[in-house]
Amino acid sequence: MGKNSLYKLFFAFMMIMLLCGCWDIKDINKRTIPLVLGISKTKGGEYKITLQIPVLKNERQVSKVVTGTGETITSALGKIRTNSENAVDYTQIRLIVVQNHLAHNQKEFTNIVKFLMGSEEIPSRSLIAITDENVEDVLSSINDKLGVHASSIYDFFNKGADWAPEVFSTPVWEVYRSLFSSTKDIAVPLIRSGKNTVLIFEGSDILRKGEIMDRLKPEEIQLIRVLQNKNEKGKIESLGFASIMVSNSSIRLKPSLINNKPSLSSDLNIKINVLERNDGVTNKKIMEELERIIEERFFQILRRMQESHTDIFGFGQEFQQLISYNELKNWRDEYYPDLKVNFEVKVNME
Amino acid sequence: MTQRIQIAAVFIIIHLSFGYVVYPNLIYMLTETAHWEVIICQCLLQLILIWVYMKGLNYFPAQNVIDIYLKMGRWAAIIFLTPFAINLIVLASLNNRIHTEVIISIFLPRTPYWAILVLLFFISVYTALKGLGTILRSAIFIFLFVIPLVVLNIFSSSVNFNIHNVTPGLNLPPKFLLEMKFFYLLGFSSFLFLGFIASKTKLLFRQLFAAWVIVTLLSLSIVYIPLFIFGQDTVVTLKNPFLESMDSIDISWFSFNRQAIFFGVLLVGLVILTNSVLFWMIGTIMQKVYKWNASYWISAFSFIALIIALVVPNKNLLEKYFLWSSGAQAFFMIIIPITIFIYGFWSNGGVRGHGKK
Repeated sequence: MGKNSLYKLFFAFMMIMLLCGCWDIKDINKRTIPLVLGISKTKGGEYKITLQIPVLKNERQVSKVVTGTGETITSALGKIRTNSENAVDYTQIRLIVVQNHLAHNQKEFTNIVKFLMGSEEIPSRSLIAITDENVEDVLSSINDKLGVHASSIYDFFNKGADWAPEVFSTPVWEVYRSLFSSTKDIAVPLIRSGKNTVLIFEGSDILRKGEIMDRLKPEEIQLIRVLQNKNEKGKIESLGFASIMVSNSSIRLKPSLINNKPSLSSDLNIKINVLERNDGVTNKKIMEELERIIEERFFQILRRMQESHTDIFGFGQEFQQLISYNELKNWRDEYYPDLKVNFEVKVNME
Repeated sequence: MTQRIQIAAVFIIIHLSFGYVVYPNLIYMLTETAHWEVIICQCLLQLILIWVYMKGLNYFPAQNVIDIYLKMGRWAAIIFLTPFAINLIVLASLNNRIHTEVIISIFLPRTPYWAILVLLFFISVYTALKGLGTILRSAIFIFLFVIPLVVLNIFSSSVNFNIHNVTPGLNLPPKFLLEMKFFYLLGFSSFLFLGFIASKTKLLFRQLFAAWVIVTLLSLSIVYIPLFIFGQDTVVTLKNPFLESMDSIDISWFSFNRQAIFFGVLLVGLVILTNSVLFWMIGTIMQKVYKWNASYWISAFSFIALIIALVVPNKNLLEKYFLWSSGAQAFFMIIIPITIFIYGFWSNGGVRGHGKK
């Protein structure tokens, strides 16, 4: 009897102790939750961090932009924390914008990506983008636009399937993965602030192990997405005499290795809808013209990429089974420049 | 029957608990291609040991490992089981600490680690004090609660899969078999607790085999999910590959935007049960060998374990010590089943079930 009540007393005491478990948690209304993080460098060589923070209480202003500088990114983030009136919570950051002078420096960019990946607070699934403009201008442009939400910069990249297939997003972890991958490179979207819209999509920078090798236009990027087996649905293409919309696409890749020379046959199947056409234009003409345009575009990019030893299509991935793991490390320099691609497009009408 | 299901549940939970945190890193260090080979070899080795263990235990019906050692002589029990108990203390404390670090990095970044450590210890010691019945019953509860989360993790991570990141080739000859780290892997499996409960139920190898198949499949998923997402080149640079792969998932239509939280919750369930089993084993050993109330032993030893967990200064050392203790665990995993088997075979002259009831 006495032992039992002692147990109960002890248990009740433990409960009281556990109830205090939230002593170090700040309530959500007492936190500042930035959505976009901008990284640039000042002339003095210090990192400059810009945050876009939604404002909920004020009706006229949708967001505010806060900056902080420091010798490292962490110290800059820490400074913002010190100077902020609330607790700053970096766990909800959805987009990271890096200014071009940092992005064009391989060492700097690699370090930033490694930091973002290693950071426990900043989520590695947040998207990354590069801008040629001043980061602050890009982030603050949202305040000047009428009728937009604070989250519009993030929404820009997440329109959902087939609304704007050219715009694509690259999360931090994919960039991190490409730093080590020997068979696949990555494209990072390029943005700037628009006049009437919040952002303008300018294309992508192509990165090889953190080094920017090339810059592609939006319609070229589209093709890369298709070849990486993402759907091209919703893409509108103008042929001059007709406009079409891609309603479905699929790709089949078949790698082979003959005398240690890689070759790849790829068949792209596209289904289209004709949206408008000039008088007297036949279906056949539209199909042939489209096939020609896509093939031409593809070989143009491939030539450029092979010259710079950058495997943006990720063709090396297809050879994982054919080339041994250690040999694959030399994929970009030894195999890729000799790669023969037999690319065929087949267009079907819906 | 229910008890056998409960035992299988404990078996799976303990394997998962050890599997999630350090196991994938070890595999990635052992081989660059054909990871499945390592996992299958390790699991087969484990299966062989389980079979030997069960055979040995079946020579002595209704007796557990400690009884058998005591039968050999008190000195045998002291020599074999005292170091084992000490190893279990270290294993429990490091296991708890390692899980605490992961839990902190997932959802409690500002909480000091001792607070979480104390909480996890308190619950698992409480469960251990309540005895085997409570452990088995709570195993079913945790199992029902953890397995859907594991399945959710596996399925949600598939959005980021890229099959081409993995080479499914063969590694011949399998060089990793000669490496020390391969034997450390064995320490992550803990079937030894089976011998401690055998006095209550007669276990069937067939049912354990089913549990073993599940464990093998789960081990494959634990290793291959980060591989499919990141690939071997990247995965070796990550501190906690499984956690990072959970963190990479962004399903915008799903109401919970952080899959890693599920992973964290899952870990809490796993570590509590695993530790309570470890503490309970310590308690049983000490009670039978040194004749004192088990709950005193459990309280005292869990306190020592807590102190050890608090004292370890940083993550790197933590992982190193954990590896050592699992190496010691692997040693006992080979020694204990084999001695029991040999003793059983020798004392019964090869006749099964001849022991005193």
